[in-house]
Amino acid sequence: MEERILEFIGDLRRAELRISTSEALDALSASAEVGLTDRETFKSTLAATLVKESRDLETFDRIFNLYFLDLEALGEGLKKALGPEDPKVQDQLDQVLDQENMDLDELTELLMRGQGSEMEMAIRGGAQGAGLERLMYFLQVGYFSRRISDQFDWSAIERDIEKIMQALEAKGLDPGQLARIRNYLELRLEAFRRMIRQHVQRELERRAYRAGEQLTREVLSDKPLFALTPDEVAQMKSVVAKLARRIKDALALRQRQEQKGRIDSRKTIRKSLQYGGIPMEVYLKRRHREKPRLITVCDVSDSVRNASRFMLQLVWSLQECFSRVRSYVFVSEIAEVTQGFNNFPVERAIEWALKGAPVDYHCRSDFGYAFSRFANTELDSLDKKTTILMLGDARNNYNDPQAWALRLIRERVKGIIWLNPEGQWGWGIGDSVMPLYAPACDIVRECRTIGQLGEVVDNLVHSWWRRGR
Amino acid sequence: MFESVEEVQHRFRAARYIASRRISTVVFLAARMGRPVLIEGPAGVGKTELAKTLSDVTSRGLIRLQCYEGLDEGKALYEWKYAKQLLYTQLLRERIGELIADAPSLPEAVSRIAGQDDAFFSYRFLSPRPLLQAIRADDPVVLLVDEIDKAEPEFEAFLLEVLSDFQVSIPELGTVKAKHVPLVVLTSNNARELSDGLKRRCLHLFIDFPNPTDELEIIRLKVPEIPEKLAHAVVAAVQKIRGLELRKPPSVSESIDWARSLVILNARELDPTLVESTLTMLVKYEKDIERVKGALDKVLAETK
Repeated sequence: MEERILEFIGDLRRAELRISTSEALDALSASAEVGLTDRETFKSTLAATLVKESRDLETFDRIFNLYFLDLEALGEGLKKALGPEDPKVQDQLDQVLDQENMDLDELTELLMRGQGSEMEMAIRGGAQGAGLERLMYFLQVGYFSRRISDQFDWSAIERDIEKIMQALEAKGLDPGQLARIRNYLELRLEAFRRMIRQHVQRELERRAYRAGEQLTREVLSDKPLFALTPDEVAQMKSVVAKLARRIKDALALRQRQEQKGRIDSRKTIRKSLQYGGIPMEVYLKRRHREKPRLITVCDVSDSVRNASRFMLQLVWSLQECFSRVRSYVFVSEIAEVTQGFNNFPVERAIEWALKGAPVDYHCRSDFGYAFSRFANTELDSLDKKTTILMLGDARNNYNDPQAWALRLIRERVKGIIWLNPEGQWGWGIGDSVMPLYAPACDIVRECRTIGQLGEVVDNLVHSWWRRGR
Repeated sequence: MFESVEEVQHRFRAARYIASRRISTVVFLAARMGRPVLIEGPAGVGKTELAKTLSDVTSRGLIRLQCYEGLDEGKALYEWKYAKQLLYTQLLRERIGELIADAPSLPEAVSRIAGQDDAFFSYRFLSPRPLLQAIRADDPVVLLVDEIDKAEPEFEAFLLEVLSDFQVSIPELGTVKAKHVPLVVLTSNNARELSDGLKRRCLHLFIDFPNPTDELEIIRLKVPEIPEKLAHAVVAAVQKIRGLELRKPPSVSESIDWARSLVILNARELDPTLVESTLTMLVKYEKDIERVKGALDKVLAETK
């Protein structure tokens, strides 16, 4: 059983649950404490020792159900597959087996008397040598089922059955009864073959599940954002949410660690009076640190809408990390969408910002016009604590780039970070005016995938914290 | 302490706590393996109650450490009674003077005073805080570390050290080893992520809102005078309300309060006016109340 548990742990790890060796050891000793008699208890035991994040419980449940089959339920299923049990026939068989003291193959014995669960265990035993780890596609099911059945000595079973039939015949049963018994045995044999096939199918499901899960996650993080299908956009939302959570957790830890600073002499001296002027207790100054203010400015024309969506989601999920977040969207007209985020949950606010804000979504993007408008109306509200996070491909449709506006904005703020969802090779080619805008920006990054986006935001949050001491 | 998971379940029940299979399993393992249990879950599902019941059932004393931001070793483990030490030295000034009066040199005087260290650094001047109390207790205890997520990560690291070998070293006195390994229960509302080390060390238990059957049983147990029909109606309504995406969905403790207040009002069944007037027992935010009022038909649909 220990091996099964370890293998199960391997499966969990592949599904990206973090399980340490000590936890694996705990699981083993804990399951030894409770035993295996009750499935629910066993499951709770593994969950308590292995799963330390409540959000991982769902994954755990799914993998557990695939891995530790409900043998009782399986036995029920098998009974159904066999049709109604024939107690009379079973009686006769048992009698003959007892009386004749026959030397039967183990497997025959199992077929005669065994329950579904024992049969399943036998199949597992057989499967060990069959190289199931190479099972990946549905088309392989037949092949591997055959490989497993090759592990069993079918001819021995058939010989045994003949032997039994002869013994029964010798006892003087009439042909009708004999036919019934033979039929019964053959049905059992058939069911066993079917169980082998089912076992392989389940194994495939297990593998497909973990491979699929991992694949989507990896591929999604590296897939160009403009190429996402609607389905993938939906999946991506949860990827972004996870990313946000990770950044936040890391930050919370760091924030606390860095809080202690130099000696607070005033407080220390005041406290020392209690001990006659001896500084028994030393007080440290708490570092005062300002959270960055952030303004996001997103191009929401068709070509970069996905990138904008995820950046907005990420930034607004990290709201606590900034003292203030304001968001603007533009195609050529620019509009503030902050109020949406204050009133709606993030998801809905993003939908609104991408579709319902007071800008014309169908015209051609004009960065120059948007920046000059922004400089005209918002310049006074900018200050040196603010960082601007710009997202756009800088494809200006041959309009006037008006780079002066961006330079003007830069003078008023702490910095401008430009994220470009287009590959670096395209900057400056065709109607791209990235090279004109780049000098006004502190950082210009390619941001084609969610992975890159995460990196940039992570850096932003952390480095700004460090610098802001 | 417990022979089987079933025994845990029965004894908790006898102590008026409905423990699901999952909860009883974890409690059983914790007792068997001497491991701390980390309980997570929304507020008001009986996390703290579990620790209290555990202390009841095992007839062990309960020592509680409530965590908050800024909690440090001094408040959790032990503290020297500085003021008392200072006062004593003042009072004993003459005795100390005598002691060093005939010392030929300063180093000699210092070492004579150092020889008296034990007098001032002894348990007499030590005020033990919950953790040290739990470790030094003569009888086995249950230690409840409540809302660990409210304390800082450094404290967590320090706690981890205490929990991993149940000993504390006090520089002046030496190492204090636990006479009995306490049963430790930590609770967290998930305000922040706990460190991996602590999680690794603990058995993990997630308590969610109970399913209808369990909740019905809890209400019957805690409000025994409730009419059967009303109990069913209350559970059905509460379960519905939890599905409404509220800012703070009603927890078990709130549904118990609600059931109690309904009983006091002599209610036989739920009708809209009654629910509306008692809703504040169940839902605590203005916006949430509005929401529930808006969906009252749906909430009460199946309670008749």
